Amino acid sequence: MLLKVDGLIKDFGGLRALDSVSFEVREHELVGLIGPNGAGKTTLFNCISGHVPVTKGKILFDGKDITELPPHQRAKLGLARTFQVYAAQGDLNVLEYTMVGAFLRTNGRTKARDIALETLKELDLLPWKERKVSEIPVPGQKLVTMAVAVATNPKILLLDEVAAGLNPQEIGWVKGIISHIHKDLGITTVLIEHVMALVMDISERVVVLDAGRVIKEGRPQEVVNDPAVIKAYLGESFRLEETR
Amino acid sequence: MEAIRNALDFKDLPRSEVYLSWAVALFLIIFPLLPFSSFAMATMIQFLIFAVYGMGWNTIGGYGGQVDLGKAQYVGIGAYTTTVALIRWDIPFWVSMPLGMAISVLWSFMIGYPLFKLKGHYFAIATIATSLVLKDLFEVWGFVGAARGLHISPVKYPPPDFLRLIFKEDVYYYYLLLGFFFLAVFVMNWFRHSALGYRLRCIKDNEEVAKALGINVHWAKIKTYALATAYVSAMGSVHAMYIKNIEPEDTMSLDISVLIALMAMLGGAGSLWGPIIGAAVLVPMKSYLKEWMGAKMGLIGIDLIIYGFIIMVIAAVEPKGLWGLYERWKGKRSAP
Repeated sequence: MLLKVDGLIKDFGGLRALDSVSFEVREHELVGLIGPNGAGKTTLFNCISGHVPVTKGKILFDGKDITELPPHQRAKLGLARTFQVYAAQGDLNVLEYTMVGAFLRTNGRTKARDIALETLKELDLLPWKERKVSEIPVPGQKLVTMAVAVATNPKILLLDEVAAGLNPQEIGWVKGIISHIHKDLGITTVLIEHVMALVMDISERVVVLDAGRVIKEGRPQEVVNDPAVIKAYLGESFRLEETR
Repeated sequence: MEAIRNALDFKDLPRSEVYLSWAVALFLIIFPLLPFSSFAMATMIQFLIFAVYGMGWNTIGGYGGQVDLGKAQYVGIGAYTTTVALIRWDIPFWVSMPLGMAISVLWSFMIGYPLFKLKGHYFAIATIATSLVLKDLFEVWGFVGAARGLHISPVKYPPPDFLRLIFKEDVYYYYLLLGFFFLAVFVMNWFRHSALGYRLRCIKDNEEVAKALGINVHWAKIKTYALATAYVSAMGSVHAMYIKNIEPEDTMSLDISVLIALMAMLGGAGSLWGPIIGAAVLVPMKSYLKEWMGAKMGLIGIDLIIYGFIIMVIAAVEPKGLWGLYERWKGKRSAP
């Protein structure tokens, strides 16, 4: 078991954002995390990455209790993530930004540069390397942050809505990149996504969150046919084929 | 050694910039041989000192985006350490300068730890406060001369004295400072290429992302702050030997802190040449405003008004200063 979330509770003041969430991610798995807005998906990521403290419960990563660790130490252990809301403001270009990720594993500039170039090549983003991140449209920036996260050489990658705002053709492209990260680079991936055509196609397992609880967990086909999931999130008229 | 390679590597800059900086370096080297007035010489010395102060500020303030308005306290620690060490114990400059840097860095760790728990404006205000507190302490501390300050007598230490750094002619100070200036540029270039430099730029962009990338944000800021401090403290030491008369008011006042920040902000915060450009514009302007308009025309305080005005213009027009304007112009020209 690579990641195990056990009875996680997160309260924001009087609001219980996560209510005893438990789930597991096995090594080399690609897990989709879906649910309506406000279900607590991003909060769950924030708890796992250590960006917000948990109220109660445990997070185990690679056999180690990381519940109390600060985010940067979790990253060192091999936990990487992207952010749903992110807009670059600085003057870093794509290559330099990717190098920041690579610097987690090396202190040498030449080495970091090599890792960064290799990562950008793997993710098909090499043509962007000289572009300033802040000058790339926001959907594109998310792909860059994905590359930066991969450059940290993680064991697990948490992707928060990387396909939001993309057109169907671009979604196809991103799908290819994520599959490549998962299959060829061998990085375990957890994916928060609203784009069903993406998440249902590549996930091996899907976890559905609603109002801070896991309401269903299973293979994509099982999940889309589950009455509770249809009621809470997909809607009565949902047909997966139509989203493609 | 990769650190040394990084310090000497300017290949990532455009050719034109490298040639221009060689030309500037050459000019700085031959400047004392040219027939300029002693006022010009004094201004150039001020330029070198403030350019290095500005470079120090630029690490944490420019690359790291942490607006620090308390750099004067380190000018003070550097200046006082060398002066007190000389007057009380006759310790030569080359020992007391590193000692001053060590004390400054130690102090920077002590206050940096709580300071960097703060963000944005709160951080800026807290840096002002620490600097002012230190100044107030020095103003009542008899051992260091209290508010009257300390004076280095040229009778007691006859020039030229290389060990104590006491000279009569400005040209000695000029070349010494020029050496420090070049060293500062190389250290800056190292920093820019180091893992820490990249991390700071990422922190400036977004701290939450930085944390997710395994960066210990708090510690990276403290380390960079210490580096900035070392720059400023070393220059403070030379500055004291040069003016030979230090008071808490001229070394640790808010004006100095603001001026140091302005050097980098006007020139271009977060760029290699920014602080140098800023100092090249501001130092002559400062001399003119203070000596001429302030003293002769009786417009005391006019310099502060102008600085305030510059800050407003930078904030409104181009946050990256003159260098930002240049890059924008270059970008427009190269665009099809």
